Amino acid sequence: MTVPQFLFFCAFSVVALAIIAFGVLVVRTAQVDDGGPFVSRALLARLAKPGSERAELQRWAFYLHRISGVALFAFLCLHVGDVSLFVFSRELYDEVHQVYGSTAMRIGEVGLLFGLLFHAFNGIRLVAVDVADLGLVASTRALYGVVAATVLCGGVGTVYIMAPVIG
Amino acid sequence: MSAEVSARQARGLTRRRTAYVLLRVSGLLLAVLVLGHFTVTHVTTDVADTDSRFIDARWASALWITWDGLMLLATIVHAVLGLWAVIADYSSGRRRRLLWGALLTVAAVVFAGGMTVLVIAVAAR
Repeated sequence: MTVPQFLFFCAFSVVALAIIAFGVLVVRTAQVDDGGPFVSRALLARLAKPGSERAELQRWAFYLHRISGVALFAFLCLHVGDVSLFVFSRELYDEVHQVYGSTAMRIGEVGLLFGLLFHAFNGIRLVAVDVADLGLVASTRALYGVVAATVLCGGVGTVYIMAPVIG
Repeated sequence: MSAEVSARQARGLTRRRTAYVLLRVSGLLLAVLVLGHFTVTHVTTDVADTDSRFIDARWASALWITWDGLMLLATIVHAVLGLWAVIADYSSGRRRRLLWGALLTVAAVVFAGGMTVLVIAVAAR
């Protein structure tokens, strides 16, 4: 690994740490503001019963939307930086860009894809909730659809991203 | 309630409505632009092959120059509006104003930097 590649990898690690720190902030603040235990056995039992505690699910969707949004913006700042190397030196851009093809970075890209898909689909759901005036039941069904679409598209995308380093 | 207060409230309402609409319109636009961008750079082309020659080929087309420019603009609008609300939720007073300032600064640097790169790269062709 060359020095520019190492620096890029360090910058990517800083972005990853910032995302984790923000996730911790959101969950800790949620515990203070919204009260009650979070990922507990009681919560999982409530979520397992369809029809009950739907608001709980929407709240988790809100936190995930928030964390994925901050994550995407943090990555964008880094990404605009590494693409801008292209106008300074094509060789430097190609050198740094090789990191994107590494196995470790590909795992990060899978995470990026899942964050992107959830944020996009859930965002469309939020627009639909307002435009079509969906109630709690319909918007929760839409949330199941969002999760299903994220897992499905994310799974297919993961195969495409990881295939060159596995197969 | 005095007339001045209600006029200020009306302006505040208009501003909030504009922010609400802009956040959602830019979001719907981004759902297409960013997922399309990700598909092109990870599915139809493997990410290891998206080197400087890939950028050359892409920025030879007016479609992709427009795509990338519009994507950056919509992202900055969406990110500033979204993070503005996030900062308001987790801070207050002087710290909140500082964070809002930092957000606008970072957004301006990323937008100006990205657009400059796009213009220089296209002009140098």
